[in-house]
Amino acid sequence: MNLLNFSSDVFIAAFFLYSGAFMLFTIAIMGRRWSGRKPEEHTARWGRIAFITSSLGLLCHLAYFITRWMGSGHIPVSNMYEFMTFLSMMVMVAFTVIFAIYRKIILGVFAVPISIIVMAYAAVFPQEVQPLIPSLKSIYLNIHVTLAALGESFFAVGFAAGLMYLLRTVNFDSRERTDRKQQRLVEFTLFSIIVIIGFLGSVFAFRGAGYESVFVRTNVTIDSPGQEDSTIEKVSYKMPPIVAPYHSEIESFQSFLGIKEPLFEAPSWMNGVNAGRKFNTVIWSLLSGLILYGILRLALRKPLGKAIHPVLDGIDENDLDEITYRAIAIGFPIFTLGALIFAMIWAQVAWGRFWGWDPKEVWALVTWLFYSAYLHLRLARGWQGRKSAWLAVLGFLVVMFTLVGVNLVIAGLHSYAGTD
Amino acid sequence: MKPYVPLVSNTKCECGHQNPVGTVLCEACGRPLEEKDLNSSENLEMRYDGVARRSQRDSPGVIDRVWNFFSSVKIAIYLIVLTLLGSMLGTIFPQESTFLNIDASTYYQETYGTAGNIYYILGLSHTYESWWFVSLLVMIGASLVICSLDRVLPLYKALTRQKIRKHRQFLTRQKAVLVADVAEDPEVWVARIVQPLQKRGYRVRTDGGALLAEKHRFSRWGPYVIHIGLIIFLLAVLARGLPGLNMDQHIAFPQGDTVRIPDTSLYLKNEKFTVEFYTEEEMPKEFRGTKVLPKLYETRAVLYKCTADCTDPSKEPQLTEVARHDIQVNSPLSYKGLKAYQFDYDLTPVLRSVKPELANSSTGEIYGKFELDMKDPQRSFQAGPYTLELKEKYLDFGLNEDGQPVSKSPYPNAPAFLFLIKGPDLPDEGQQYFYFPKQIDKEQFQQTAINDKLGGSGRFLELEVSSMSDVDFSESTAYLNVRVDRAMPFVWIGAGIVMLGLILGFYWQHRRIWLTVDDGELVLGGHTNKNWFGFRREIVSILEKIDMTVDEKSLDNGGGLA
Repeated sequence: MNLLNFSSDVFIAAFFLYSGAFMLFTIAIMGRRWSGRKPEEHTARWGRIAFITSSLGLLCHLAYFITRWMGSGHIPVSNMYEFMTFLSMMVMVAFTVIFAIYRKIILGVFAVPISIIVMAYAAVFPQEVQPLIPSLKSIYLNIHVTLAALGESFFAVGFAAGLMYLLRTVNFDSRERTDRKQQRLVEFTLFSIIVIIGFLGSVFAFRGAGYESVFVRTNVTIDSPGQEDSTIEKVSYKMPPIVAPYHSEIESFQSFLGIKEPLFEAPSWMNGVNAGRKFNTVIWSLLSGLILYGILRLALRKPLGKAIHPVLDGIDENDLDEITYRAIAIGFPIFTLGALIFAMIWAQVAWGRFWGWDPKEVWALVTWLFYSAYLHLRLARGWQGRKSAWLAVLGFLVVMFTLVGVNLVIAGLHSYAGTD
Repeated sequence: MKPYVPLVSNTKCECGHQNPVGTVLCEACGRPLEEKDLNSSENLEMRYDGVARRSQRDSPGVIDRVWNFFSSVKIAIYLIVLTLLGSMLGTIFPQESTFLNIDASTYYQETYGTAGNIYYILGLSHTYESWWFVSLLVMIGASLVICSLDRVLPLYKALTRQKIRKHRQFLTRQKAVLVADVAEDPEVWVARIVQPLQKRGYRVRTDGGALLAEKHRFSRWGPYVIHIGLIIFLLAVLARGLPGLNMDQHIAFPQGDTVRIPDTSLYLKNEKFTVEFYTEEEMPKEFRGTKVLPKLYETRAVLYKCTADCTDPSKEPQLTEVARHDIQVNSPLSYKGLKAYQFDYDLTPVLRSVKPELANSSTGEIYGKFELDMKDPQRSFQAGPYTLELKEKYLDFGLNEDGQPVSKSPYPNAPAFLFLIKGPDLPDEGQQYFYFPKQIDKEQFQQTAINDKLGGSGRFLELEVSSMSDVDFSESTAYLNVRVDRAMPFVWIGAGIVMLGLILGFYWQHRRIWLTVDDGELVLGGHTNKNWFGFRREIVSILEKIDMTVDEKSLDNGGGLA
């Protein structure tokens, strides 16, 4: 078990190195106008330090991956925690590849945080090593999951560059209608990212405080006349219940800020006992996201987009557009191979059919169709710049829904991937 | 949209080349052909090298109109987006195909309420089999074929017949452009740059003071290779629907039994089925005592082929072993295109045969013993002086609404046998006797009472099993999914070709550099189908080799996009 302990230690080291690298990348860009230095020299020097730090982080991350593999006896991509840690590693690999081609320091400011957020999201899930169930015991677990994650990571870098393009080119001072619309959309995108950070913040804050409330619900089903079957479902809330599960009773309630009972009950169509809990998590995420956003707005006294815009001053927008496209063009064949072709091969070997319209399969296809449309629009219909950047941003939303949303909202054959 | 094509257009270029209608750039010298385009200074539209496509005929007929419709990339994108949206709709609620036994017309209403009912009425509960979804896929297939043919042939012609010397406008309106003074003799200068270009992998052709360098042209075929692969893939998927190419059955194999696979001459024997679970020690602490995780499902299977007496019910078929495999979840048995997958299992023991003894219940005398097979019993048995004739067999005994005995299922859950016994001290017409091999059924269905009624008061015969060794159980049943899918190889070939095309198209770029040196002036134009950033860097480093220093950005002639 020593190997596994070492593994989680280097994982934490990687997390801090990435956070450090993010700050160093930010210093490299923001600090170029500090007095007493030449901007190019400053950016180059600090950029190099930042890149070395992020590469060290990636090495630690790799060490985590290898030691966990050795310690558990199977490739650590078999549940949600392991998959998310792997995805964050692949985002760093994709960033490193794109960085090596284009040498744009600014990319670190936007791509590294994606990896950090994915890593933090991984920590929401149980971290124990679980033995593999029979359906996962296959060489295709290694190939399908890793390639799919790598392809998706290039889409993530494409998303970062696309967002940078928008922050760079949207006219944040204009009052014209089209510009206002763009400003609002960029602001909404940034707000969504802050809601995710709010979600992570509230999960870890309440976990740190050891919060728990428990609800029970008795389900009565009538199988045949005169014969009632009742089952008791229990759900444990790790965040203070603003909303209780539909038709449930309190078993234990830890009061929070003087609140002694849930404020309201989930609507009847959220009939699963966990639906109420998930809804509660969504409310908390939005709430803490709003608070966080409010604090930032108060501190900056302007929309976030407008505040970030000057950071990208002097960056060639055409380069950003090309990085967006290039990242997606590199990722697309890898995604096709990993998320569709090897998925089909594995499905054929394990279930006897290569395609079964399972929600996860459908969403992988949706992602593929989306990026196919992106490539056709760009290559054959000349959608470049603004439109292309928006598609890159939207595309990553589709990717994230495929990875996380499908498991949370829609069940299916991939439900063993473990969800919270 | 398509470029504007005037009704009567003069398509002859000033260089003397006659171009087909719809041509954007002269096929020979590259000069823009349209009047308004000629005076512009914007980047040239280099798609398909500006050649006319088939879909740009000037007087379209019906077939041409259909062709034009499907040849449009815009239509193709609409089809992709519609398929994408349709696929998304199909994941809102589970599809009907995910359930084994439901009445869809009420299930969606009951489970998901009104929204579910609307979903069902709209036909979204079987999205992927619906006429509109399948039509979308077929239309995508048509679009793939026609889009590709419409472009690949003209593009092929254009790329194989390239002229070296191009019109000045063609060069200066590329996205990578350099205009510089050159003092040297044009031919000497051009000869000097050939070497560095070749070193970078370019194939170079010169024509006096003009030069054309080109590399990785194969990358241009990438998209068409992808489309060919997708067409093969889609055709293979459609072919799976044809009869005879496909078999898909779920068959129960009790342990120790050899079962014929329907519609084949193959028999599969389940020698042993194993299910294992992880022990407490193998589980993480958090799961101990709360979760049970399966570790292994395995059916030790032997596949036989029938070589003789296959159809004669009176003879045992003669079997030859052809394959043997321990079937696990990720490891099916495979024999000449037939595959058997571990699908499910049942640990309820199944009675296979018993060896009852015919005894005299008053004296205890045993007359004889015979073997009674549940599934395939003999018609008559001999026990000492007595003959037992099998009149009826019920594998899953029960009574119907009229009180008549019936078999509720073909599985030996509650087997029952009705015998007609003849022999000494019995009436000439014989005596009926009901036999339930399972003790639990004997009691539930009151075997003794039934037989007392059938045999009357003087009844003295009884069938009994004396020891457990006379009972043959199969401990468990493995359910295997047996499949034949003759179209699969084509699915994989299609997918492989798609991958090849993706790699060709995305990981290489077709790069071309044209240059002319005239009157002490160098005009260089470069074109690549993607990665302008790397291309400009390459041009700079090539020029450096002949001691010409150029700034990377100065090559960027606007819109330097991918």
